[in-house]
Amino acid sequence: MSLFSVLSIGASGMAAQRQRAEVLVENMANAETTRTPEGGPYRRKDVVFESSRVASPFSSVFDAQVDAVGGVAVSDVVVDPSDPERRYMPGHPDADANGYVAFPHSNPAEDMVDLMGASRGYEANVAAIGAVKDMIQRSIDLLR
Amino acid sequence: MQYPPAMLDPVAGQLEKYMDLLSARQRLVASNIANADTPGYHALDIDFQGEFQNAVSGPPGIVEVSGLAVKNDGNNVSLDRESRLLAENALRFQVASALLHSEIQNVQSAIKEGSS
Amino acid sequence: MSSPISPISAIQIPDMVRPAGASASGGTFQDALSAAIQRVEGSSQEASASIDRFLSGEGEELHTTVMAVQRADLTFQLFLQARNKVVSAYQEIMKMQM
Repeated sequence: MSLFSVLSIGASGMAAQRQRAEVLVENMANAETTRTPEGGPYRRKDVVFESSRVASPFSSVFDAQVDAVGGVAVSDVVVDPSDPERRYMPGHPDADANGYVAFPHSNPAEDMVDLMGASRGYEANVAAIGAVKDMIQRSIDLLR
Repeated sequence: MQYPPAMLDPVAGQLEKYMDLLSARQRLVASNIANADTPGYHALDIDFQGEFQNAVSGPPGIVEVSGLAVKNDGNNVSLDRESRLLAENALRFQVASALLHSEIQNVQSAIKEGSS
Repeated sequence: MSSPISPISAIQIPDMVRPAGASASGGTFQDALSAAIQRVEGSSQEASASIDRFLSGEGEELHTTVMAVQRADLTFQLFLQARNKVVSAYQEIMKMQM
């Protein structure tokens, strides 16, 4: 139950939200990308969060009760497998034989809202680390 | 976990226990915040007053928070609630440590007074 | 393992600190002294043990360790003051007898 390990929990939250933000920004930046090195249009990505145990390098044991409680990690980044959106644009360099161009499914409004959520989550984790750091400092001050 | 009464008023033992529970609670708040967007995750807490009144010490029991709205992905963490608790726990910890600090200083002064 | 408070294994108290006429195997004063030394020893050991647990990451809370150290410190300070008083009282008595 050491407060020091709680710092790791906050750090894991920051890392996860940051990854989420990165993926969202990538989605938004590639909303109109019709051509990728792998061939075909850009495919949206999504992060999957999963709660994880957090081990501090200074800890030798897991607390029995709080073993299941811990931080978070991105367990997977899933690529959108669905068929791309097809728009009729005969003059487009990536148009197929029928004049259709494959575009990513883009939803910039939703991505923006998600990004704000990731930002808010990130800030909350930063606040958690700050609060815990202060508590540890107070314990140290008891020695003064 | 022992809260020895040695040298200090018994209230010092109570203050230590209070700080222990606040630390445990803060750990759960941090977990809830880290998992605010984890699908299926339910916010956790401890029964603070119950554990504090309990004469038996040891790791407090972890319970799920009741009365929270569940989002589409099964997650029920409210960042508002967790942020509020984060601040409250930290402040209470400050109070307890300040009280302990002054307890310690009082006894130190009493000892030094006797030296003249 | 370093301890901020070194355990007191033996304090040399001059024999004559004991009240004149007290038997060599200790009256109540000797007992009180032994008990005091025990308390210092005990709280000092508890502090060392707590520090050990904290350093080895066994989940000891920092404030618990800090409080154990403070308690040991206060016990030791009190003991020092008491000892100083005893020694100066002895010196007073010696001066009087001269």
